[in-house]
This record gives sequence, structure tokens and C-alpha cells, in this order.
Amino acid sequence: MPQVLPDFSNSVKLKYVKLGYRYLVNHILCLLLIPIMVAILVELLRLGPDEILSLWNSLHFDLVQILCSSFVIIFVSTVYFMSKPRTIYLVDYTCYKPPVTCRVPFSTFMEHSRLNLKNNPKSVEFQMRILERSGLGEETCLPPACHYIPPTPTMEASRGEAELVIFSAMDSLFNKTGLKPKDIDILIVNCSLFSPTPSLSAMVINKYKLRSNIKSFNLSGMGCSAGLISIDLARDILQVHPNSNAVVVSTEIITPNYYQGNERAMLLPNCLFRMGGAAILLSNRRSESWRAKYRLVHVVRTHKGADDKAFRCVFEEEDKEGKVGISLSKDLMSIAGEALKSNITTIGPLVLPASEQLLFLVTLIGRKIFNPKWKPYIPDFKEAFEHFCIHAGGRAVIDELQKNLQLSAEHVEASRMTLHRYGNTSSSSLWYELSYIEAKGRMKKGDRVWQIAFGSGFKCNSAVWKCNKSIKTPTDGPWIDCIDRYPVHIPEIVKL
Amino acid sequence: MGVLIYLYLVPTLYLLFKIWKWVDEKRDKECYIIDYQGYKPTDDRMVSTEMSGGMVARNKNLGLNEYKFLLKAIVSSGIGEQTYAPRVMFSGGYENPTLQDEISEMDEFFQDTIEKLLSRSGISPAEIDILVVNISMFSAIPSLSARIINHYKMREDIKVFNLTAMGCSASVISVDVVQNIFKTYKNKIALIVTSESLSPNWYTGNDKSMILTNCLFRSGGCVILLSNKRSLKHRAMFKLKCLVRTHHGSRDDSFECCVQREDDQGRLGIHLDKNLPKAATRAFIDNLRVISPKILPIRELLRFALILFVRKIINNFQKRSDKSKAKAGINFRTGVEHFCIHTGGKAVIDGIGFSLDLSEADLEPARMTLHRFGNTSASSLWYVLAYMEAKKRLKKGDRVFMISFGAGFKCNSCLWEVVRDLDGNNGGNVWKDFIDSYPPENLANPFMEKYGWIQNEDDPTSFKLPDEYKHFV
Repeated sequence: MPQVLPDFSNSVKLKYVKLGYRYLVNHILCLLLIPIMVAILVELLRLGPDEILSLWNSLHFDLVQILCSSFVIIFVSTVYFMSKPRTIYLVDYTCYKPPVTCRVPFSTFMEHSRLNLKNNPKSVEFQMRILERSGLGEETCLPPACHYIPPTPTMEASRGEAELVIFSAMDSLFNKTGLKPKDIDILIVNCSLFSPTPSLSAMVINKYKLRSNIKSFNLSGMGCSAGLISIDLARDILQVHPNSNAVVVSTEIITPNYYQGNERAMLLPNCLFRMGGAAILLSNRRSESWRAKYRLVHVVRTHKGADDKAFRCVFEEEDKEGKVGISLSKDLMSIAGEALKSNITTIGPLVLPASEQLLFLVTLIGRKIFNPKWKPYIPDFKEAFEHFCIHAGGRAVIDELQKNLQLSAEHVEASRMTLHRYGNTSSSSLWYELSYIEAKGRMKKGDRVWQIAFGSGFKCNSAVWKCNKSIKTPTDGPWIDCIDRYPVHIPEIVKL
Repeated sequence: MGVLIYLYLVPTLYLLFKIWKWVDEKRDKECYIIDYQGYKPTDDRMVSTEMSGGMVARNKNLGLNEYKFLLKAIVSSGIGEQTYAPRVMFSGGYENPTLQDEISEMDEFFQDTIEKLLSRSGISPAEIDILVVNISMFSAIPSLSARIINHYKMREDIKVFNLTAMGCSASVISVDVVQNIFKTYKNKIALIVTSESLSPNWYTGNDKSMILTNCLFRSGGCVILLSNKRSLKHRAMFKLKCLVRTHHGSRDDSFECCVQREDDQGRLGIHLDKNLPKAATRAFIDNLRVISPKILPIRELLRFALILFVRKIINNFQKRSDKSKAKAGINFRTGVEHFCIHTGGKAVIDGIGFSLDLSEADLEPARMTLHRFGNTSASSLWYVLAYMEAKKRLKKGDRVFMISFGAGFKCNSCLWEVVRDLDGNNGGNVWKDFIDSYPPENLANPFMEKYGWIQNEDDPTSFKLPDEYKHFV
């Protein structure tokens, strides 16, 4: 566990020293330029106007030379601009807002639970205790098939849920961005637990009559971090195909996976996972840069599958009665912490400002060479990012990350409120959180966002986005009708 | 004067630097197959036509018509006596497969093949940078890719993708993913794992269109090692020249021809529509339209354009209205030496052979694969390739054209160029033990006479299974 630095920051003087140090190191190049310019100015003043004029005349400029030099300069600057790696823009995204009829307030959930598990009062009590401490609110939604007593997870119903979520999200994406279906060049759909034949990507292609030379991919089984894996794949493909649009659809289909047995560890996902989905439009066209909301800066993926404990952390298996469900191990939190640490060590050098990196390096060298008792310096990630989107996996995950990264309550507010309003919507939760930050009017041009997600396997993936233009308070989206009620205070335990 | 020289020197040097960087980037983007390993299950999993018929007969829900149809399908499918089925078929648990059956079927496959491939090529699992797994119907958590990473202790920063539900053309899609990543990242090694999960997908109802999948699909798989590293080029077998994907999902009739759904009794199965061959042909023609200019020499393309033009003029003059199934008229052998056709069934191979005007020798690898291994879904292409390699047909500079079809409806194809003479002696070829007995003189199913009697039964109500078949039921 990382140790927290002792509280010097109370001392005001040191705080200013730290601020000054940061400013110095981050702007070192500009600061070096100042003395050089001063020296040139002093030199010019010393020479006097006559000498300057004769210096000017000695440079024989004739037409040919001027043309050549200007041609060379223009050519070189064109080459410089053309050879920059393609920027990937996030033009816009939409999140699915389930209808009110799908709501599952605590009372409904507990009633259904009592009826479905009537032979097992202990399991019902277990679910109640989980629900009390879960951090979920009264407005989360489950798909229609799960409202039946007992739930009816047929393939028809699963397809129905997929169509409802994915098509609604895509329709609103088309409306919002003015995108035409024929303009989509790349389509990536990720849904962990449901992959019918033909795939969900084929279903989308069929519904919207997309082009026949579309590059479509259907990822599944990759857990709650699959959204960022899809973004990674989209980025790799967009690097190779110029002037293309990519649509990424992230969702999780709950209907076929609603556990109907009695094993406690497997009832946990029932309490947390809820219906949701998001559709994202990415592009590498320069014409989109004026209206794109974000620019993709980095995607870092870490896979801890080599470690057996991490691998068994989220496991689908059959219980004693042969019913299939997902069991979550008790070590989930510590494994998540480990995976996060690996991810941070990769992403740190890419995003931290020079000042933080230098401090970290100096303390590292100091510990190794001089005195191992020096406290390790934990880089301050609040310096690198303005906003944090932590996958709303559950209250414990958000608490753990808040502690590890030393974030304030405001930083994790988006995650907590998304968990409260929408539950754990798996891979799409990051987009609901981003939407929350925008709805609160906190997103300004130049702000950097860090999205972190965990997944079965065990993976930790993160993406860094930079805000491309100041975003006005949205007039649509999943938060418009309730943003004024947020943030709410979520008590430790909600008495049921 | 000195200032001017500096003024010119700096941008010129920068330009030269940029040009060198650009040239350097253009290299090392090629996708090479270093090695591949097909999966040959153990012989205790072999299933003959008789056994296959028996398994179908075990289904108590079948009536005479269904039985007739299925036996006819099995006998004329082109599948031989030595194909492989998953273990659940033999243990009797096929009607209620457990999650463990599904997982152990996949474990058996990948532990065998990846082991062989990595030890033969001398590459350790920690060197693999990209892993793409495509198994259409496996859906456990964690994904098979995570299982592989866990088993072989692969690196933390591995790029892993798990593609599912993309049908029998999924291995070409995996190659597409790898190819795109190779163009952006240099010096990478990729592993593609392709197979199909049959244990959890045995259909227990009596809808004819859905039982067909029970009769045709067999166990099989392949792992392929690819790279764009310069140091491994000398060991490479194939180089990817081009890859084209066509998706006809926008047409409703193409989309509906292969759908996984529940039948009237609520049993899950994959429905294969009667329109499947037509949808396949349409998708195939569309795909050819895009890929032919990329792989055929200009002379052939001009000749074809001329023929089309002449035909149009003749048609205009003679006002012929017969829509006879005209052959393509284009000679693919000018651009391709070997044809690797997805072994979807005898009809698929015959259909492609007719449209492309291929000889029996061209179709032999596909037919033999269908006969010996059955329809192993996405990995079938690699068995066909292994056959060609074992028969020592692949010489340096030859081009191999791979065609595959998938649910949705997709047609994906790609062209590989053989980088060095291949003699099939690299030790891992699945055909090496019995290649000399292929092609056999007679491909006809030995049970044709035995099951032929059923064609004469007409009355469903008085139909009784003859005694000799009773032991299957």
C-alpha cells in the first residue's frame, strides 16, 4: 500500500516553494529563451543603427534566393505538419437512458428477490445487505425480461434488450452528430456476456444498412474494461485508414446472465449490474476538429492474467445445482489495487508534468543510493488531470481508488453519482460519468480526463482524453432531468 | 553569405531526416506468417458416418421425414469416416453440457497446439505482443484469451482481443486486426488462436434446419504465429498481400440466412436458411469485384473487360433473354496458383469451383480437408493450407487465395504469397502421417447403400427403425 506523505503541505511557505518549483521545471524551455533574447537585444543596442543597416545590406537578397528560401521553408513546414501522427477525435457520444418502466427501486428488487428465492431466506437477506451498502439509488433499471417472476431469459428477450439499448443509443448518436449510416467506416461492438450468431455488429449493420466494405469487429468476454479495449482497437485501425469514421458501441446485456440460483457469491452481480449502453463516434478527419469534443491522447492496457489469483478473481462457473453465474472473489480489491499500480507506472511517464517526474526520479535514486528510509514520492495525479472517470464497479472500487490516488470527493463525484443513478452498467459506465461532468458544466477546453476501468482476467485499462472545445451544458443526454438533484449524499448504509 | 548557407542547410538536413524516417517507417509493416499449427484431436474422438447417424438417431424427437433428410445430408456431405467430435458426444453428456465440458474442450485444444507451435518456433510466450482469439460460440468469463494468458504467463502489456460470433470467416478477420496493428507498431509478434466450441451447441430439438449444424460441424482448430519483425523474415512462410472484407448485413435476406435462435419448443440452435447458397454467391461476387483488381495482372483484367463489353454488344443485338448461369469468364489462375476454400460443405466447394472455373486439382485440398476433418468452421482454411504444404505444392513466389464465408452474411478473402519453398517437413503438419493415402480413389460414402433404403420409406406413421439400428437409440 502506498504511504502518504507527512503533512508538510500545511506549511504555507513550503507550498509556495513547491508551486514555484513546478512552474520552473515545466516551463524551462521558455524561461531559457528569456536570457537569450535579452543578450541579443543588448548586442543590437550596442551596435548602433548604422552598423545594423550595413549588416542588413550585406545579406545580398535577390529574387531567386528569396523564392528558393521561401519555397524551402514552406515545404519543410508542410512536411512537418503532414508527418504528425493522426489525431483521433471523439466527435460526440450518447448514453442510453432506459425508460421509467424498467426502474428497479429497492422495494421492487427485494420483493422480486423474496419471491424468486423463497426457499432461501438467507440469500434474500444477503442481497438486502448488499443493496443497503451498494451505493445504488432508486432509479437504476433492469431489462424487461428480468422483471418477470421468475425472470425469462430467452434468446428472443436477450436480442430484444440488445436491440433496445443499442438501437436507441445509435439513433440518438445519428441525431446528435448528423452522421449518416453510409459514412461509417469502422464499427466495433463490445458486449461481454452475450454473443449471438450473427454477431451484434452484424445486427447493427443490418438495421442501419451500413456499407458492405465496413470493417466490423465484435469483441466479447472482456469484462467491464472492454469499452477502452474497443477504443484502443479503433485507434489502431484509424491510424492506418485516413479520413475515416469509427463507431464504438459499448454495452452489457443483462437478460441472459441474471443468476437464478442460490449461491451467495454469485448473487452479488445481480445486485449491482444494471442496464445501460453507450455509442461513441471517433474520427481522424481534420474537418471534425472544429466540432469534436475530445482528443484521444493515450490508451494504456495492463493485463494481469499471468497471476493465478488475479485470473480467478472474476470467474464464471456453475454452482452446486448446475446454474451458471459469475462469482467475485474476496481479493478483488487488493488485486484491483495491484493492477492499478501496474497501469499507473506505465501511464505516469506519459502524462505527468516534468516537475512530478523529476521529483519521483530524484526520490527513487535517493532511496536506492543514499538512504532507503526516504519516503517514496507518490506523484500527484491531480497535477496531470482535471477530471477522473473511474469505472463505477461498486462502492468499494471507487473508495479504494480514491484512497490510492489521494483524490478529493469532487474528483470521484462523477463515478459515485453514476453508480447511484444508473448502477454498474459495465463498459458504458465511463461514458455516463463523462456525461455527468459535462452536464455539471465543469468541462473546459484543455481539460484532461482520465478514464480507468477494470475487467475480468484481470485487466486494468485507462484512457486519457483532452477536451477540444469548451462544452456548453447539454440539452439532451442521460442527466438532463436529474442533474439539478445531484450530487446527493449517499449514506454508508441505506436502511431497508 | 555564411548566414544564407546556414539558412539553407538546416531545412535541407531536416528534410533529409524526414525522408529517411518516412522510408524507414514504410518498411517493417508487412505481415508474415512465421509458423502455424493445426489441431488434430486424439483418435478416441473419431466419429464415423455410422456413429454420426446413430447420434442423430438418438434424438427421440425425430420423425421419418427429418430422419430421411438428415441421413441424406450426412451421406452426401462429403465428410469422411475420420472426423473428430467433442468429448461430450461420447460421454453422453451432450444434451446437458456443463460449463466445465466447454472449458475443457478448449483447454485440450489450445494447450496442445500452442505448446507445439511455440516450442517449434523457439519463441517464448513472454515475447508475444498481440493475441487475437476468435472462437465463435464460447462465452465463459474470463474469456479464452485470459485463460491463455494465465496458462502461459504472458506479459502485462499484451494487446489482446477476443472476437466472437463472427462465424466461419473469423480467422480472416483476426488476420485483419493483426495486419492493422502491424502497420502502426513495429517489431511485434502476434498469435492468432482460432477454433470453434461445439460442446455447448448441440441442438436437441427437431427443427430440420437446425439439426443440420449437428451433422456438419466437427472439432478442429489452429494457432498461427505472425510477425513484422525484420529478424524473423528469413523464417517466414507466407506474406500477406491483400485482404478484402465484404459484409452483406444490410440486406435482410442475407442477414437472416444463418441465425441463432430458439425453435418452437424453446430449444436453442442455429437455423440455416434455404437461401444460404444464394446469399453466399452474392457476397462472393461482391468480394471478388473488389479483390480481383488487386490480385490479377492487368492483362487479364483488360481481357475480361473486353469480353464483358463484347458480350453486352452481342446481347443487345440478339436480345437474348435467357438468364443462363454464365460463368465468370475471368481466369483467376493468372493471378493465383492455389485456392484455399472454406470447407463449408460439398455444395460450397462445388459452387466456388463452378464460379471460378476451377479444376479438380484446384479443389482437391478443400475436398480432402472436408473429407478428413469435416467442417471445422473458422480454422478450416488452415487445414486446407496444411494439405497443400504437405503435398509439397507450395513453391516460392506462389500465391494462395483464401476465401471464407460467415454468418451475417460476410465474405472475407485474402491473398498470401509464399516466401520460401515449403516441403511440409517442419514436423507440425497435421497431415504428415497420412498424406500419402490422399487423395483416395473413392470419395463416396461407404454407407450410401446401408442408408439408401430410407429413401424408399414413405409412410411416416408406419415407420419403424430396423432392428440393427436399435442399438443406437
